[in-house]
Amino acid sequence: MKNFVLGFTVAILILPIGCLAYFAIGFSQTRADTKPSALETSTLQSAVRASVRRAAASVPNPPPANDDDLVAGGKLYVAGCQGCHGKLGGLYREDHELFPPTPQLPHTGTQYSEPELYWIVKHGIRMTGMSAYGPFYSEKELWSLAAFLRRINNLSPGMIENIRPNKSG
Amino acid sequence: MKKFAAGFFAGSIVLVIGALVYLKLGLLDVRSDAPVPDTTARLLYSGIHASVRRTAPKARNPLPRNDETLIAGGRLYLNDCVGCHGEPGKPPSDFGATFYPPAPQFPRAGTKYSEAEVFWVAKHGVRRTGMAAQGSTYSDLQLWSLATFIGHLPNLPPLVLEGIQQHPAK
Repeated sequence: MKNFVLGFTVAILILPIGCLAYFAIGFSQTRADTKPSALETSTLQSAVRASVRRAAASVPNPPPANDDDLVAGGKLYVAGCQGCHGKLGGLYREDHELFPPTPQLPHTGTQYSEPELYWIVKHGIRMTGMSAYGPFYSEKELWSLAAFLRRINNLSPGMIENIRPNKSG
Repeated sequence: MKKFAAGFFAGSIVLVIGALVYLKLGLLDVRSDAPVPDTTARLLYSGIHASVRRTAPKARNPLPRNDETLIAGGRLYLNDCVGCHGEPGKPPSDFGATFYPPAPQFPRAGTKYSEAEVFWVAKHGVRRTGMAAQGSTYSDLQLWSLATFIGHLPNLPPLVLEGIQQHPAK
């Protein structure tokens, strides 16, 4: 029994130290122009989703959004988000530059709710290319963006026209 | 000895399952707008540098180290990097500060990376940060001029600083 406890303790200590040493010595890969493994993607995506769900639980319900709010949110998207997240009405283009790759929202849509989207845009996601936009957008802007993002892969052609008035959808 | 091995095995399993449960429960804080704790920052930055040192080829900068190269690199820098990494002679970038980890401010802090390492990082990016790979946007020679420029920050020759400002990026 004594030996069992000793082995158990050694494992609990050695493994985290080993991981830190592996990283500190520089064995981890840093280049961003490769794809994360499926295991890494699913593990981390579900961790992020669970964390956002927990953190955004205290965010109040969104104010009801009308078409004007969606257009306003869409214009914010075109001005501030589409460089990484994909052009509204554009062709699908996989991201090979950031790791993890940026979700191409006009094509994939999102599983997050409006309060969760509000929270993500405001606070960002650490250790990804998603920075925190809380310092740059008003509450109203954050909510209009969240309402737009919720519906981004489900917009009527007329709505896209209104967001990008001078370009064909 | 057998019991030690069994204990070690049990400890490993408990650790992995514990980590997965921690992640699944959403207990990992994911927000970007919190300061990086000092020990985490030190570990992150030294781990990334160690990895880059290990993987970046020991290439020689093919460009001459003159004002022309610095100005060419400086224009690229003004064009594409200042948004996050800050502009020479200006306050640090507010936008760069909203990433986790935050974008290093080269015009103030310079860099500990060699030119070959800066070249490699600019070309391939740094995963799990906001640093995107630029290899599909810029040629190797362009990236070498950029690496030369960043390698000379924060102490640019005055002529170079003037040259960049007189020839704003297109």
